[in-house]
Amino acid sequence: MTEVVATNETILVVGGGISGMTAALEAAECGKDVVLVEKNSHLGGRVSMLYRYFPKMCHPSCGLEINLRRIKGNRRIRVLTMAEVTGISGSAGDYTASVKISPRFVNEKCTACGACTDAVETEVPNPFNYNLNKVKAAYLPSAMAYPQRYVLDPSLVGTAEGEKAKAACKYDAIDLGMQEETVQFKAGAVVWATGWQPYDAAKIQPYGYDRFDNVITSVEFERLADPHGPTGGKIQRPSDGREAKNVAFIQCAGSRDENHLRHCSRICCMASLKQTNYVREAYGDEGNSTVYYIDIRAIDRFEDFYQKVKADPNVAFVKSKVAKIVEDEKTKDVILHGVDTEGYHRYANQHDLVVLAVGMEPSVKGANIPAEIVADSSGFIEADPANGGLFGAGCASNPLDVNRAVQSATASALRAIQVINRVARVEG
Amino acid sequence: MSEANTQAVEKYRNNFLKEVEERVEEGEWVKMCMQCGVCSGSCPFGPHWAHPPQEIFMMIRAGKRDEVLTSDSMWMCTSCYNCIVRCPRKLPITHIMHGLANYAHRLGLAPKGQPTREFGKMFWNNLVATGRVNELKLSLSLYFKDGFSQGIKNAMAMKDVGLGMLKAKRLNPFELFSPHGCKDRKGIHAMLKKAREIEDRRKHLTS
Amino acid sequence: MADQKIAAYICQGCGLGERLDTVDLAKVAQKEGKAHVVREHEFLCNVDGVKTIQNDIDSEGVTHIMIAACSRRAKAEAFYFPAVAMSRANLREGVIWCQPDTDEARETTQEMAADYVRMGCAEVKKMIQPQGNPGAVRNNRILVVGGGMSGMTAALQAAKAGYGVVLVEKAGQLGGWAGKIYKRIPSRSPYQDPQDTGVEEMVKAIETDSRIKVYLNAVVAKTGGAPGRFQVEVGQESGAAGTEEVGAIVQATGFSLYDANNLPELGYGKSANVVDQAGLEKLAKEGNGAIRRPSDGGEVKTVVFVQCAGQRDASGKHLAYCSGSCCNTSIKQAMYFKDANPDVNTVVIFDDLRTPGNGEDFYRSAQNKGVTFTKGKVSAVEATGNTCKVTFHDLILNDQNATIVDADLVVLATGQVPNSGVDIDAKLKAEVAAANGDTSLLEAIEAQEASGQKPISVLNLDYRQGPDMPQLKYGFNDSHFICFPYETRRTGIYAAGPVRRPMDMVQAAEDATGAAMKAIQALENAAVGRAAHPRSGDLSYPSFRIEGCTQCKRCTVECPFGAIDEDEKRYPQFNEPRCRRCGTCMGACPVRVISFENYSVDTVGSQIKAVDVPDEFSEKPRILLLACENDAYPALDMAAMNREIYSAFVRIIPVRCLGSVNTIWITDALNSGYDGVMMMGCKHGDDYQCHFVKGSELASYRMSKVDDTLKGMGLEVERVRTFEAAITDIERLPKLINEYAAVIREIGMSPFKGF
Repeated sequence: MTEVVATNETILVVGGGISGMTAALEAAECGKDVVLVEKNSHLGGRVSMLYRYFPKMCHPSCGLEINLRRIKGNRRIRVLTMAEVTGISGSAGDYTASVKISPRFVNEKCTACGACTDAVETEVPNPFNYNLNKVKAAYLPSAMAYPQRYVLDPSLVGTAEGEKAKAACKYDAIDLGMQEETVQFKAGAVVWATGWQPYDAAKIQPYGYDRFDNVITSVEFERLADPHGPTGGKIQRPSDGREAKNVAFIQCAGSRDENHLRHCSRICCMASLKQTNYVREAYGDEGNSTVYYIDIRAIDRFEDFYQKVKADPNVAFVKSKVAKIVEDEKTKDVILHGVDTEGYHRYANQHDLVVLAVGMEPSVKGANIPAEIVADSSGFIEADPANGGLFGAGCASNPLDVNRAVQSATASALRAIQVINRVARVEG
Repeated sequence: MSEANTQAVEKYRNNFLKEVEERVEEGEWVKMCMQCGVCSGSCPFGPHWAHPPQEIFMMIRAGKRDEVLTSDSMWMCTSCYNCIVRCPRKLPITHIMHGLANYAHRLGLAPKGQPTREFGKMFWNNLVATGRVNELKLSLSLYFKDGFSQGIKNAMAMKDVGLGMLKAKRLNPFELFSPHGCKDRKGIHAMLKKAREIEDRRKHLTS
Repeated sequence: MADQKIAAYICQGCGLGERLDTVDLAKVAQKEGKAHVVREHEFLCNVDGVKTIQNDIDSEGVTHIMIAACSRRAKAEAFYFPAVAMSRANLREGVIWCQPDTDEARETTQEMAADYVRMGCAEVKKMIQPQGNPGAVRNNRILVVGGGMSGMTAALQAAKAGYGVVLVEKAGQLGGWAGKIYKRIPSRSPYQDPQDTGVEEMVKAIETDSRIKVYLNAVVAKTGGAPGRFQVEVGQESGAAGTEEVGAIVQATGFSLYDANNLPELGYGKSANVVDQAGLEKLAKEGNGAIRRPSDGGEVKTVVFVQCAGQRDASGKHLAYCSGSCCNTSIKQAMYFKDANPDVNTVVIFDDLRTPGNGEDFYRSAQNKGVTFTKGKVSAVEATGNTCKVTFHDLILNDQNATIVDADLVVLATGQVPNSGVDIDAKLKAEVAAANGDTSLLEAIEAQEASGQKPISVLNLDYRQGPDMPQLKYGFNDSHFICFPYETRRTGIYAAGPVRRPMDMVQAAEDATGAAMKAIQALENAAVGRAAHPRSGDLSYPSFRIEGCTQCKRCTVECPFGAIDEDEKRYPQFNEPRCRRCGTCMGACPVRVISFENYSVDTVGSQIKAVDVPDEFSEKPRILLLACENDAYPALDMAAMNREIYSAFVRIIPVRCLGSVNTIWITDALNSGYDGVMMMGCKHGDDYQCHFVKGSELASYRMSKVDDTLKGMGLEVERVRTFEAAITDIERLPKLINEYAAVIREIGMSPFKGF
């Protein structure tokens, strides 16, 4: 049974992505006790699945390493993984949280030696790579995974293979009898940092994401470029594994669209500009990118990055929302139809691969948060006094880039501390 | 002020936009276009227009009244609704196109001899006469709109279809001589008159 | 040390017991490592193993422990013994996972493990578990410079958390830009209409909060000290207004609008009816929303908004960047007119309309109110009488000479210029530019110096490295780090709002709240002598042996964080609370007098010397690899997790930063017979990735000078090589090692063996 020691001077942080980790760390490094609850088997969230950041083209795993070291060295943070908050009751300074913990079937004795992986054959889709490849059913979720502890897929439980995995572990770390459990504990304030998910691209019917192999999303493209990804960092077409040298990027795939997401997702323009760099990195002068856009939203210093990409002769910009995509049945090439609105030019452009710059929606939309909380029409948490001691942070509160998400998380840590310090003053 | 100057003054002003908003069916949506161009790209007849919808909307906002109203572009719309379902701003583009065409027609600015417009007029007159569409008459007037010999050619080209319809009893040649109408022809006329009055009032038109 | 008692623990788990002769390793620890207690354990990280170690500490008087098991990045929670000094010999990722499991490899694998055990023992012996600065002081107040939206927010938020605030505002009243505008961009749904600024309520809240002390018409005349003990002199026109002690600082000095006088082609200065966004706000505020034509008070029928005026400029004449907020501001200002009279023509001429997030609702709302948006580029604004003519290229209608005549008002969206004070790196940048052939910057500085004019500082820091925060680009005090927006180069001082980056009011308030959080954290850290990010919680701090110091000033100049000043006797003065513990000073010191308790020239040097170097006929070269602990070292760990094999001749030592590498380590290694030295640090240059800012760059600079030393020793220059490494280089780094091992094989063994 998992035990969580917490009081109404504890801060509950929901979500272990970069926003949640930041909020937890900033508060803990101020001397506050934090319980950090993460749904996945490891911390890091969405950014850990990115290859590089714009505009510096540095790697998210670098910052993740620093944050993980901070967490490892800080005893004030209690991390619960495979855990979901199912209910929050009470009021500011006096909340009770219910957290459902799913069985990992691997306990804290795991040394990450990998013997269980070697013992099993079954493979399951790999969520870390958006299911673009498979992993063994006993696996370490990613090379940077923290806690550095393996996970057993539930499908192994009750099978001979599960027993084999258990037998392979010399350290008694595999517990096939592990059950789902629910724990309850106190918290004075809650930072809700559950982040974002990519908009379901299949809903954008004319783009054929569900019909054409060579139409993928921007988050999947990140995995293709990443050396830890399903292709070992090679940018290949899903249909035939051929090199994708002529890549189209479609902006506002779901965003700024009353049929899909009303808001602008802010990051997608910069993300596509960054991804044109991946094409160049992979194929040099043989790689070509075309960005189809409505407005390029490269705000503040990001403008420099836009200008640099614009100066690349292998990157073309077309001011147009693409009308539809058709697939060449023989070559599986994708043909984009639309009109360049700057001066009205009609096009039917053939590409190897199309990347949809999918919009950002909250992973947990306001109405689905198991607490009383005010959210806007897109489901992002608003800063409202009625929320009491509950504070949105990062992309749960607004579509934000990493930098702004961290600012938001830092701010929310202070808001939580304000509640905690009030409680502490009252309780003397 | 000379006409050229008047035109310059009208540019990028609200005047024409407001006129469209007040007098054109669904005209109040024009201002909401954000120039993404998905409508233009989605139109199956797109290559045959001088100005696709998104450009028409910009022209309206730029005050290009004559160019818009004398254009044949909006007459090309076949009501496939591709644009409407894809428009990220949910503009009822098909309806706006028809609204603009109708408005240009009523002002007498619509291009003369534009086939869609000619057909529209024919259809309307045919319909209003008896309160029911006389398909035979409508077809024939369409075949013969460009003169007698062209009409014969058109009719001959379609003769197999015509005979087939005749056999299937989908076409009655006697309709040519004694067309049957609706029961209350007068009532229909009164209704249409009233409808026009209401529309004119709503659209601030006096005709 | 007399009471030093070292315990060494050799783990046999995860295959270590099968692949290595742990009995032999235990002997090495005992005989060569001089460990007083040596224990082998079959599963050291389990409850029993941890208990064994804890028992030794509690009952056996063990003060120093060496754990030979997995990487220091693994099992950090289990091996957590804050009372003692600890080193970790990386036998799993560092040896058995990166070496082939073959009979032939057994001998070199064992040698590798034995060396890491020797190194671990040697290192821990030289370590002292830091207890924190005994001189640490607590001060629960923060200084906020600037009383606009950002500054007021920072003050109120910090006060709400129970901390005191000193708020210094240059003007005669609080409010800043927010106080000058009529209404603000909406901050809440439904994002449809301009909303009240809320400035009055904030000012009232500040005035009634006993924790906040406000200075108006005041500037910061001098800032001395360090986090936890800043001494701030507040100056007013009449002279010194007071001295305040604070624990941390938020700089929220905001922005000025780009000077529209630089845009005569857009009619500014030629007609009273051409205004910038501030000019329009003034008109709106004065008229309480009713805006008349400035030239004659006439009615406004047509207004044109020119976006990106003097911004996103590629010519180099104006601002190169986008100010991020002007699109929404113009939308708001167009609404001033539309809300008062829908018949007014309002045209926004933009290139890219930038209304991210919920700004899209605001954009839609403006369209719904009848504001016309036109994608175009304005080429000229000409004034004729009381109206203007705007000429532009309409990009949608492809009209090169589109015009709007009889515009009653033209509003130029000119963008934000930060009020960030003195560019302390100006001279350096100018010198670099001059070296590249562009002397204009240097001439400008010299001209300014000759005129006796001094740039006005915001903070007037009496830091050795200059009076203000270092600027990142275009004068903004932003952090360079994407994951760490508050990671500035002056510990305990945080920029907030538009001085850090162009931004709107919603973002500024959020940023200021975050900055207040960091300021509070900084003073909490200072109170116990704890390091700030990225080595958060580190209690070690640098000290120096005054007898050896030659006053060369390299440490004071090279410290990336301006932590080191010079005292009256010109000796370095380490301000512990400003220090980020990177060790750049230690790497810089030519006489090696700077050290940390747990990281010093000795802790690394003794590891280098502990390695067993076989003779030159052994065909077993030794390569030292100094790896940045944040990127290169984790990459090597992850490579090992993928079972990437690399040369058994390499010995890896993680370093805090390549900047901390003292060249003595290189020469010591070569002198003791190593055949090559590799260094792996983070990318440097414009998009540098070093979290200590300049560490890797300084290292590569210092190493460029090593060639002479090598020649002096009669060694090939290839024997020392520096590489840029990223944390994702899991395939590349083993390859680099193997290639380098091949190079060493090629040039042959070092002649320095056995001396």
